[in-house]
Amino acid sequence: MPDSIEERELVERAKRDPEAFGALYDRYFPQIYRFAYSRVRDQSLAEDVTSEVFFKALKNMKRYTYGGHPFSSWLYQITLNAVADHYRGQRGEVELEEGHDMASREPAVVDEVVRRDRSRRVWSAIDQLPKQQRAAMVLKFGEDRKIEEIAVILGKSSGAVKLLLHRGVERLRRELPQLEAELGTP
Amino acid sequence: MMDDQELQELFSDPADQEVIDLLRASRPAAPPLDPHFRHYLRAKLMAEARDKLAAPTSRRWFQWGLAPAMAAVAAGFLIVLSIEVYLHGQPAATPQVAVNAAIDNKKDVATAEPIEIQFRGPVDKTAVEESVVIQPATAFTKHWDGQTLVITPAHPLAANTSYKVTLQPAAAAPKTTAPKLNAAPTPAPQPPVVVHFLTARAPVPPIVPPSYRSDSVSWLNDNRLPESSTLSSPVWTPDGQLLVTRPIDSASPAATASAMPRATPTPSATPKAATDVWLMSTQGTLVRDVAPGGSYPAVAPSGGMFADWQENSPDHATLEVRDLQGNVQVASVATVNGRPDGAAVWLGADRLAYLNAGVLAIVDLHGTVIAAPVLHVSGAMAASRSGLLLALTSTTGSVVLDLTSMQTAPLPNGAAGFAWSPHGQLAFTIPTGTGTALYAGSDAKATRKIAASAADETWSDLNWAPDAASLLLASHTGTGTATHSRLLLINADGSSPATFGSSQREYGNPRWSPHGDLVLFSRQDEAGGTSLWAARAVIGQPSAVDTAQGQALAEVDKFMQARITGNLAAAQAQLDATAQQAYASGASALLSPGAPFARYYPVSVQLTGPNKFLIGARVFIARNNQEVSFFEEQLTVVLQDQRYLIDAVTSTPTVQLGHGPTVVSVEVRQNGPAQQVLVRFDADLKPVTISANTMLIKDSQGAVVTAVVTFDADAHLVTLDARLRPGSYTLVVTTGVADITGAAVAQDYTSPLVISG
Repeated sequence: MPDSIEERELVERAKRDPEAFGALYDRYFPQIYRFAYSRVRDQSLAEDVTSEVFFKALKNMKRYTYGGHPFSSWLYQITLNAVADHYRGQRGEVELEEGHDMASREPAVVDEVVRRDRSRRVWSAIDQLPKQQRAAMVLKFGEDRKIEEIAVILGKSSGAVKLLLHRGVERLRRELPQLEAELGTP
Repeated sequence: MMDDQELQELFSDPADQEVIDLLRASRPAAPPLDPHFRHYLRAKLMAEARDKLAAPTSRRWFQWGLAPAMAAVAAGFLIVLSIEVYLHGQPAATPQVAVNAAIDNKKDVATAEPIEIQFRGPVDKTAVEESVVIQPATAFTKHWDGQTLVITPAHPLAANTSYKVTLQPAAAAPKTTAPKLNAAPTPAPQPPVVVHFLTARAPVPPIVPPSYRSDSVSWLNDNRLPESSTLSSPVWTPDGQLLVTRPIDSASPAATASAMPRATPTPSATPKAATDVWLMSTQGTLVRDVAPGGSYPAVAPSGGMFADWQENSPDHATLEVRDLQGNVQVASVATVNGRPDGAAVWLGADRLAYLNAGVLAIVDLHGTVIAAPVLHVSGAMAASRSGLLLALTSTTGSVVLDLTSMQTAPLPNGAAGFAWSPHGQLAFTIPTGTGTALYAGSDAKATRKIAASAADETWSDLNWAPDAASLLLASHTGTGTATHSRLLLINADGSSPATFGSSQREYGNPRWSPHGDLVLFSRQDEAGGTSLWAARAVIGQPSAVDTAQGQALAEVDKFMQARITGNLAAAQAQLDATAQQAYASGASALLSPGAPFARYYPVSVQLTGPNKFLIGARVFIARNNQEVSFFEEQLTVVLQDQRYLIDAVTSTPTVQLGHGPTVVSVEVRQNGPAQQVLVRFDADLKPVTISANTMLIKDSQGAVVTAVVTFDADAHLVTLDARLRPGSYTLVVTTGVADITGAAVAQDYTSPLVISG
């Protein structure tokens, strides 16, 4: 709790104090960049998205009001919007949507997976999930966000997030043994 | 294992829990991250934040009033020094200054970035800035951004070098209106602050120059230059920095000119101009304003000078010449009525071509007009590297003007977009009915069509690769909103066109850096704007000999690391019997008898025979974590049983650091039938001390070999051009070489040169 009070004070100061905004940046850059990269899988693009997130946050800082969720929730929301904006504006982007089967992976993806150990393999498998499931899984298992916070970030109900997580885990459970059998690895 | 209450509630099936435990026990691999990006973005954000958030409230002792200047400079990757030096034991009422100095003991410091030192307290700025000394001797400018002292080296720092910045903190006496009896305390002397840092290691140059053929070049690490949407007419300088034209009224250092190092203003009284010309690093740091009020910079092919236009009024502009420090060399080479059409074109080192109301004009650096044919020019002109030929499109057709005879030779109709290679080849484009034809040839009279675009595609912005093996160009397809711009790399014979960079991006205006390691280009961003980007070029697979060089260097690295960590057995494992005997008999010390070896780096690498290299390694000795001296070993490394082993060693006496300039690298390059020996120093040198008397090549008999000695002050680089027959030679740098402070090389420096057959 002291952390959240301290964060609220820092956020309030950041509305008028550049140094406080810099402190927020220092605090949240790693997770926002990591999250952006998990969504776009391209360093240059992740940099673009991260840059856009913090500039948008700065631009709208004075309008930000604390809603009972960590400040990072807002940054994650901006990140998702920035990623979505990018894909809307891009031609030929291949984004796996709901309904795509992981079994239809390109050989290059399989090659990539072969090189990884089991824990890495599970994260590669998450990369192949539909985008909403992927976002929920990354936020929960990669960033340790609460379900309620993920719901705020994704603009969904907590129940919907639970469903996404449940489906994601179920799918991994189904696919991982099959994948490992295909690859001939334990 | 599953200790997250939410997950426990959500997943009760043990099979699910197994997956969840696996997920929670692992984390996605850390994404690749350019270490500069975080700092770069922070600097950009802080600049914006200070502009947007900071209210103009009451003044504090900590001056943020100059924040825009600080922020813009910080738009690169400023080095922030951070040793907290608090001064104790002084009377409570005595003014104190704290120095924030973080670079101390930092390694891998970039060589082309300003150094920033932050102060807290009532600092006496004048006293502090006058006290700054950099070793090795380095020319620099300095300015204050609020409480931050920004030190900008005049030239990029040397690689592989320990630098020491010394300054004397001084507190300003506080102003007081109190009676004399209560006068402000006199600031007490404070101990000097000494900051050490180590610059990044330079890569070992390849023995076989890489080919820039289209199938062997790719790029990585796109880097957007800060504020680049406001920059225009970027051009490379010979030492790999950039000159850019920048609006004077953007939120920028230029807006707070008093805080920034500005070049000498043009003598003539000028109205407020719209742009300045800035020297910028490839990381995007604005190094200095080299031409206030200037635009359209044109960099001389050599000599560290550039020309730019000064628009004195809407109907009058002056062409001036400055050096890269911003000092005016020639205030008025030429004038034109109206606005200049574009950058002037250097014709060699001492003439400039420009357009006056669309008509070609040529002047020398004294402003003397050189008679030339009357040519009404449309479009850009391009001069050959030698400065003897000028390609242009005139109203009567495209021609190459011979600047010796002033005769013109016609080019095919419609020829435009000229580009000359370093070897004198000319390339240009000609629009066809629906596309573009690309022409190139070994000289202006032997051009031929080498490639053609698709029907709805236009090509422009031709740019020769450094070795002239290929041409980089911009391709534009489509019309209206359905357009796409990309970069293409095409071999000099027109073969193997390849898309350069991501096909998902919109690119334009490619320009190879002088060293061929970077490509500058414009790229449309997601927001629809266009920015300048730089990308690192990756040039194919190394040759067999460079692969072997890499293997030999790797073994030397194992050897050196073992010595640095004191692992005698591991060090000896890298030696063959001959070398073990040599070390045992005192040819050099395997382990340091006193203070430990701190680090090493290869000063020179030469191929001396089949599978045999001579590697000069400099080994540093430190005391109290600071490097104090070094010695060099010449290691003969030979392939034995499919592995490189050290076979022989010689070593030099120990040299104390801080006693004059030192050589940091020696490189031998084949240059046609002759050789070039490139000798780089760590300090800014006095040019007058560089000559054939102080920089020598001696043959195995000790006789001096005739060599032409040239000096590039910007790169601390001395080049000796000589014709050397196969055999052994010695480079000698005498104590006649001195740095800008007058300190001479402490002792003659020698390095073996081996010319293999």
